[in-house]
Amino acid sequence: MNLKNDELTKSINTVGDVFVKDARIKARNVNVFYAEKKAIDEVTIDIGNKEVISFIGPSGCGKSTFLRCFNRMNDTIDICRVEGSITLDEENIYDKNVDVVPLRARIGMVFQKPNPFPKSIFDNVAYGPRIHGLADNKSHLENIVEMSLKRAGLWNEVNDRLISPGTGLSGGQQQRLCIARAIAVSPEVILMDEPCSALDPIATAKIEELIHELGNDYSIVIVTHSMQQAARVSKRTAYFHLGKLIEVGKTKDIFTRPQHNQTEAYISGKIG
Amino acid sequence: MENKHIDSSFDKDLNKINNNLLKLGTLGLNQFEKCINNFGTQNLEEINQVIAFDEKLDELDDKIQKSGFEIIALRSPRAIDLRRVIVALKISTILERIGDYSRNISNRTKVLIELNYTDLPGVNIGKMGQKTQQMFEDVLESYTNEDDKLAIKVRNSDFKIDKMHTEYYLEIISSMQRNKKLAPIGTHLLFIAKNIERVADYVTDIAEQIYFLVNGKMLSDHRPKADETSLKIPE
Ligand SMILES: Nc1ncnc2c1ncn2[C@@H]1O[C@H](COP(=O)(O)OP(=O)(O)OP(=O)(O)O)[C@@H](O)[C@H]1O
Ligand SMILES: [Mg+2]
Repeated sequence: MNLKNDELTKSINTVGDVFVKDARIKARNVNVFYAEKKAIDEVTIDIGNKEVISFIGPSGCGKSTFLRCFNRMNDTIDICRVEGSITLDEENIYDKNVDVVPLRARIGMVFQKPNPFPKSIFDNVAYGPRIHGLADNKSHLENIVEMSLKRAGLWNEVNDRLISPGTGLSGGQQQRLCIARAIAVSPEVILMDEPCSALDPIATAKIEELIHELGNDYSIVIVTHSMQQAARVSKRTAYFHLGKLIEVGKTKDIFTRPQHNQTEAYISGKIG
Repeated sequence: MENKHIDSSFDKDLNKINNNLLKLGTLGLNQFEKCINNFGTQNLEEINQVIAFDEKLDELDDKIQKSGFEIIALRSPRAIDLRRVIVALKISTILERIGDYSRNISNRTKVLIELNYTDLPGVNIGKMGQKTQQMFEDVLESYTNEDDKLAIKVRNSDFKIDKMHTEYYLEIISSMQRNKKLAPIGTHLLFIAKNIERVADYVTDIAEQIYFLVNGKMLSDHRPKADETSLKIPE
């Protein structure tokens, strides 16, 4: 399936540039329903190659719902229905032939609450490479685990206790373990849904530093309630309101001179 | 300010800095108006009042700087709020400088009184002062109403002051060439004219800040300029 920017795109009511030159993911006229209730309303946006983009907006505006569309996590919700088109490298991810297991390796996800498996630190990271058959042998697998933990900035803290349970780590360490788990399968895109909301400022700073690092190699979409965080980590920011994508733009423009008055009201803490 | 913040104490902080800035603007305008009037009336008592009052402007500027600094640290203002705070800090600094010029003009007026100053032909400091004062009034109105059109108008009238300054500069120099005894008076007049021209420049800077406040970007086009005193060699 080959999509041009303007194909399928009826009208775009979003202010700012929804399209980018080097898009990996293209979402076109996406609508999401929970039973009869529309939670996402005609959203069109590109996610660029190796870009860090943040999704912001008031609680219930549909950020998580939209984020979950990118790796078909909404499939797991019975009453949830997705319309429109989403492609990863021009390939329709909602095509009947697409297997969601490898898709979720290509588009990894990190959740709000760190959710390590009740397994050892090593096995948490080795899990993905094992099920996807990414390692040729034991030492290759060990190598992948070490590299992933290093990239997640956790190696120095855990290399002497790889066999202890992942759940025994601090919250911030668990979150970095989950990031290591996501990057162990060499994803192309990493989705993060409020990855720091359970963390203290130091652990948060470490994750943010990591996001900067990982942004050199991956496309990262981060949902956050912290406007400071969106401002710090992302180059582009998308503002959602009541299921609609109101405005997208360079983060530095969104935070200094947003175009839409709803964006303005939200980011400056006003009643719209 | 159209929309209210969910946290109303944020609005209070912003209103406070805004009101203090308007107060500083009004005081600054009064000082300038008086120093221009006093130049004409040569009333020593009132001149001394202007000079003494300048420290009140400095104090108010300090207060504004402090509260702006605190808002940035404690509230992390964004978008229009951020622009309001940054612009208030810049305009406050500019108003404080304009205050220094009013004091400076007053000091020189005192010297001119001692020198038994009488008008030089072709030099009308009062007129130049009043035109600048009008720009000053307009720029304060433009700030109060966040009126960027008026700000542009103010900015575009600066060249008239520049032109007058160039004209007076040449007149004063030629007066001094004709009559060397006029040199001390002429020198002070040159400085006073230059100070007024600088005040008009500062008023123009304020106008540019207001444009930025409203639009989130700087005015980019070149504005008309006519101060050629640094280029002109009197014949
Ligand atoms: N599983 C579900 N079943 C039914 N409705 C849902 C479900 N998940 C989300 N919704 C509804 O869809 C809308 C969008 O919810 P979503 O969780 O995507 O918002 P959000 O922007 O992520 O909010 P928050 O910032 O609070 O996480 C809300 O009205 C929500 O009640
Ligand atoms: Mg959510």
